Amino acid sequence: MSNIIEIKNVTKEFKVLNRREGLKGSLKDLFSRDYKTIRAVDNISMTIAQGEIVGYLGPNGAGKSTTIKMMTGVLEPTFGQITVNGNLPYKDRTRNAQEIGVVFGQRSQLWWSLPLIESFKLLKDIYQIPDEGYSSMIKLYKSLVDIEPLLHKPVRQMSLGQRTLSDILAAFLHNPKIVFLDEPTIGLDVSMKNKIRTLIHALNKEKNTTVILTTHDMGDVDALCQRIVIIDKGKMLYDNDIEHLKGFFGSYRTLKIRPDGDIKDHSDAMKNELAGRSVSVTSDDEWISILVNEDKTKVMDVLNVIQKSREIRDMKLEEISTEEVIRKIYEEGVK
Amino acid sequence: MKLKKYFALTRAGILESFQFRLAMLVMVAGNLLYLTVVYFLWKAIYASSGTDVVNGMTFSDTLIYLVLATALFNFMEMYAVWEIGRSIQSGKIVLDLLKPMPFRSYLFWSYSGTFVTQFFATFLPTFIIVCVVTGGAVPLGINLLYFVISVVMAVIINYSIDFMTGTICIYTESIWGINIMKQVIVLLLSGATIPIAFFPEPLKKAVSYMPFQSIYNTPLSILLNGSPKAETVLSALGVQAFWCIVLLIISNLFWKFSLRKITVNGG
Repeated sequence: MSNIIEIKNVTKEFKVLNRREGLKGSLKDLFSRDYKTIRAVDNISMTIAQGEIVGYLGPNGAGKSTTIKMMTGVLEPTFGQITVNGNLPYKDRTRNAQEIGVVFGQRSQLWWSLPLIESFKLLKDIYQIPDEGYSSMIKLYKSLVDIEPLLHKPVRQMSLGQRTLSDILAAFLHNPKIVFLDEPTIGLDVSMKNKIRTLIHALNKEKNTTVILTTHDMGDVDALCQRIVIIDKGKMLYDNDIEHLKGFFGSYRTLKIRPDGDIKDHSDAMKNELAGRSVSVTSDDEWISILVNEDKTKVMDVLNVIQKSREIRDMKLEEISTEEVIRKIYEEGVK
Repeated sequence: MKLKKYFALTRAGILESFQFRLAMLVMVAGNLLYLTVVYFLWKAIYASSGTDVVNGMTFSDTLIYLVLATALFNFMEMYAVWEIGRSIQSGKIVLDLLKPMPFRSYLFWSYSGTFVTQFFATFLPTFIIVCVVTGGAVPLGINLLYFVISVVMAVIINYSIDFMTGTICIYTESIWGINIMKQVIVLLLSGATIPIAFFPEPLKKAVSYMPFQSIYNTPLSILLNGSPKAETVLSALGVQAFWCIVLLIISNLFWKFSLRKITVNGG
């Protein structure tokens, strides 16, 4: 497989004016030359192969969007080099645009007041999609989702879910080599999320399109991504298979307990009872969560210990979620 | 088929403007109101001057000129400054920049559909009404052809000025004041609100060195001149062509330079 995206030691710095407080400060700001440099992306390198689905994760402000903007050619890296499909995207933005598709979560590229089919026709002409390519793509869409009712509906009358779905279809329409999806499932209900995941997966399989996906929803990652890249504060924390990451933390499970009585008291008591075992106890308003490392302690043993001294009203056992995995990375780092 | 992708945008623009029938109606009504004000204002001006001809123009000359200027304004005004400013503020510009054509063309052709609808909805009816009502005050001959050529260049000049003004929004991140300022300057100095014949001599001279009069004054003068001399028309069109080229180049360079600024320093 050939690499479609190569990112070599890319750093992106922004110059930001140091703002002062208050009216007087704002006045002074008008004449200020007091800039500070912010590193949004700090020395990132990766290569992405044709056909991969890569989950690009990180907390808000980590530098995800900045990286995507550099890959699409809207921003130019301060240092380092990015090649997308053999082009330098920021030098050849218009040419690069022909080969990529983008969906930015809460923004639409569709023509607001026109029915979806008109947007499609327009994109067909703008991207100069040949007739056969266009009709085979529409046929593929029809086999994947029920777009017939959407086609003749003006975009402004669509629900958020329908609009996102339409935007994704629009991004794939010219059969681009790469599609960037920036938080595509934000604000959607569970069934729509599923629909969209299935669609992205199918389009990736069918057309071998490279997909770069940023999201905060671990469901997206679990459903779609083979590989994940995590960045925080502009630095790359992790770049590997999702399986590898799960394997790394896989022996953890969370036991959730709801005892009779005050949760806080029980939680404190449990901490004492379970001292010496490899567990950590946390609590919220409803549940006491015990994170158990199964390599060292059995969940059954833990349960045995705590049910001796109290009534357990309710309990459940959870696999560690990717979200917790990422939180653990933030806390401990990958060794 | 390179042009096809641009005409596709024109087509979408026409379709879109049909979606807003009411807006079109309101616009026509608003124009009638404005023209009523113009009528009474100039009537008063001529009444108080005591003569029938002021600065070489009769009352009906002035009125015809201003009515057609308004019609021309409706059809040429692109609100490009708004569009650019708003897409910069909202961040939508990222999506527009990622279309497989230059942003400048994309914006222009996206708007071009409105040219077509506005031409048929406001300019043409106004023109026909003026012709009929004044009973032949507007000459219909070869001047129409010159007029069309002149309007095409006027559109390009107007768009270049708009585009340049819009580019300033990259630096200021605000639109309102800049847009109002641009509009006042262009409408006044181009002769769209007051015919240039009425300007005092020094201002007239100053305006002749500026590009603005090429937007409204030149096409309208050409249109209203029934027996044009070849050299006057050619020199007027020549001046327009000059500004066309100069402004195209300047606005393009300014945009490229500013865009680099965003791409280097961030949105």
